[in-house]
Amino acid sequence: MAEVNGGFAGKVLRVDLSTGKISFDDSVEKYREVLGGTGIGYKVLWEEVPAGTGPFDGANKVVFATGVLAGTGVPCNGRTAVTTLFPSCWPKPLVASGHMGGQFAAKLKYAGYDAVIVEGKADRPVWLFIRDGRVEIRDAGHLWGAGIRRTTLAISQEMGPESVVAAIGQAGEHLVPLSVVMNSVSHSAGGVGAVMGAKNLKAIGVQGSGSVRIAGDKSEWERLVKFHLSILGGNNQHVVPSFPHPQSEYYNPSSRWVGAPGKRWGAAEPPIEINGGLYDLNRIAFRSNSGAFYLGEQAWQYTVRGNGCTGCPLRCHTILKVPSVAAKYGIREVAQNTCGGMVFGRSFFKQLSGGLFGPASLEACMVGMHMADDLGVWCNYGQLQRDLIKLYYDGTLKAELGSAEYASFPWDKYENGDPAFLFEILPRIARRQGELGHALGLGTGGLLAHWSIPEEAWTHDAACGYWKLGHPKHHANEDDGQCGVIINTQYNRDPQCHSHVNFIRNGLPLAVQKKLATEIWGAPEAVDGVGDYTPMNIHKARRARWSLVRKELHDSLGLCNWMGPWVASPLKERGYTGDDSLESRFFSLATGQRLSREDLDRIGERIFVLHRALTIRDMGSVEMRSRHDLTPPWIYQAPSGAQAFTKGSIRMDSQDIAKAMELFYEVMGWEKATGAPTAEAYTRLGLQYVAEGLAVKNLVPGGKR
Amino acid sequence: MIGQERHILCQALAEAIREASAAGQLMGRGALLAELRARNLLGPDEPNDPDMGALLAETLATYRDLAALTSISGEILYHVPALLSHTYAGILDRKASPLLLIAEEVRRNSAEYPRPVPLELFEQSPFDLLPERIELSLKTMAGSPEFEDISFITTSSGAVYLFSSRHLERPYAVFLAERADTGLLLNP
Repeated sequence: MAEVNGGFAGKVLRVDLSTGKISFDDSVEKYREVLGGTGIGYKVLWEEVPAGTGPFDGANKVVFATGVLAGTGVPCNGRTAVTTLFPSCWPKPLVASGHMGGQFAAKLKYAGYDAVIVEGKADRPVWLFIRDGRVEIRDAGHLWGAGIRRTTLAISQEMGPESVVAAIGQAGEHLVPLSVVMNSVSHSAGGVGAVMGAKNLKAIGVQGSGSVRIAGDKSEWERLVKFHLSILGGNNQHVVPSFPHPQSEYYNPSSRWVGAPGKRWGAAEPPIEINGGLYDLNRIAFRSNSGAFYLGEQAWQYTVRGNGCTGCPLRCHTILKVPSVAAKYGIREVAQNTCGGMVFGRSFFKQLSGGLFGPASLEACMVGMHMADDLGVWCNYGQLQRDLIKLYYDGTLKAELGSAEYASFPWDKYENGDPAFLFEILPRIARRQGELGHALGLGTGGLLAHWSIPEEAWTHDAACGYWKLGHPKHHANEDDGQCGVIINTQYNRDPQCHSHVNFIRNGLPLAVQKKLATEIWGAPEAVDGVGDYTPMNIHKARRARWSLVRKELHDSLGLCNWMGPWVASPLKERGYTGDDSLESRFFSLATGQRLSREDLDRIGERIFVLHRALTIRDMGSVEMRSRHDLTPPWIYQAPSGAQAFTKGSIRMDSQDIAKAMELFYEVMGWEKATGAPTAEAYTRLGLQYVAEGLAVKNLVPGGKR
Repeated sequence: MIGQERHILCQALAEAIREASAAGQLMGRGALLAELRARNLLGPDEPNDPDMGALLAETLATYRDLAALTSISGEILYHVPALLSHTYAGILDRKASPLLLIAEEVRRNSAEYPRPVPLELFEQSPFDLLPERIELSLKTMAGSPEFEDISFITTSSGAVYLFSSRHLERPYAVFLAERADTGLLLNP
């Protein structure tokens, strides 16, 4: 095997909170075959956490792992995967991961570590101090009960301004399954806060004085970074602006590239006006404004600037400063987040005065960020809010809650879209107070079981957005037909995959998208127009496979799958082509180990299949197709009565989806009947040891079941 | 005019077109002739029109970064697509006729992407139409067979979108409008 001279920090830190033992593994020697991130997480769980372990057991482990490209100059590199047994996965906890951006990944690398494995359970609240080679388990008694902001401040004061803190809030402490760990003020990994809480681990503070070595030619590295910058679009790799511009042939009013010349960051001191050329590499940060995208024009006057992850020029966490909202609700003037985190508060309300771009929406967003990002409550990709809406409006809450508790909520404020309602509901979720606070915090699966509500009540309701295993859809058929459906069947939480949807929503005309699809996936039929779906074909299955493999690859390299892959670009002179080999070119230069695109994709597939194997092992069944890869009935229904493949309908056809799954299993080399990887598939990916482990339990197709 | 002189004139024309495109302007024959005079490349004894048609054809053939479009007035206009894209150039040209400006933009969006466009788009740069002007244009269109393909959709939130029935069926346009209006905002 080729020598690795860069990219990796070199060590994996292992902390046993039960014994206080701190030890180190050689990351290249032990984990290079799975790169980092989710790869290390899955491998640790496979090797060290036995089937049947509960998420809050001391035997469960939580793996904070970044990747080879984290902490380098590669754009969009700030990701840390946090992998563990998920308490919100229902009816049985299974492996999953949350992903956080921010500065944690880079600092961990600079301290000398590719990953931190936390095991055991402390007998009292502690936090983990990491400063280069110095690692200590410190008392967190004074921090227990505090929110994320206060915890971050206290540890930062202790460690110094160059440190980064990843902390849980009250939700994690109270073992609320819907809880996060958060670093750098607003960058959270959902679903894992309670696992830390169960270990009495309040936070990890990390400071590193090192750097990441790049093995390859430095000028070649710089050229590649510049090239990567040149093919970046706006947030989520939307490659055309939302406004017509002299330099752009195309535009799309729905694009997240909203920074038009003349717009102003009105709350910056002094205000900053967007200027310069559309493609200037030192103005990429002007392109994104999550506030303006989600809250409309009003957000510009409150925008301080964009914030974001290490090495990312996009700055998708928009900082908003709204003194009037602060004065009205007694909250901080400043809040920052992106996407689901930014709209956390407003998503609780069925209607808001003035609509999504009105003042009530802005207030709800500010209050929501203020509270959720301190209490550490996780939205489960919006399912928490949709659950409350459904439970309230269908009368379940009135029936299930005692009259005193029901009366304790200001439902008039809820119905009127008054953000003050958030002060009532969110602390109760974070502290498991009362029947409703407890039930909502369990996650959808837990609350359905808690109140004996049949899952079908959710799986038949398209408005609910629920998919399976206690978790919602995440860019499924509403965005990408069968490809989206396949992707949504594969994980034990929402899939968090953006490889497919970033292409679908990139804003290019359909003919250009089909041209690119032909180049990348072999045929124009790999892509449909949204809501103009055609029957399943092999090219879509290949695209689904590519999407999943690239997602795992990004999660294991420390790259952002919310931004990548970069197969489309804003560049007319390139025919809007991006670069499908960017990841492998960066990997080769960083490590000195030359891997082709196909080589690296094979590793991504290995990681993805390792996740599959873990799921099979912990479910104790090889019958993935019938028991795991489920689709909710709502995808086969249309309120209008439209048939599948009718223009303007996202309705799927059940036989076509059955075919889609078979084609997907075929391109993965899995058994069609069960949807489980075959022994040959494991062997092809260098996972013989996994196949052998599963074979002992009769969990490989073809063996005794 | 000898070859060397023609070469200098073509070069000057290309420069003038590039400068105009960088400033967001299209150049017609008259403006380019004035540019040549302003640059003292045409003597006082030169004819008023030194075979501009042939000069411009030669300029286009020589400098491949340049492009020409036929204006809605019938005039040939010149630009550099890298600085002033075909799309943007078309919008600038059609600004003289709000009816065509709206209709052609709606048709192009319906045909190419495909998608309906929000009415408010036309209040923004580079369209810069006043709401009253948009309303008047739409009323005029409604009574004109030339624009009978331009149709409206009002989404569930009350936003108005326009599409061309030549390129988009109404049910599909409704779906796309709802998705663009609130669907994408509620599906982060």
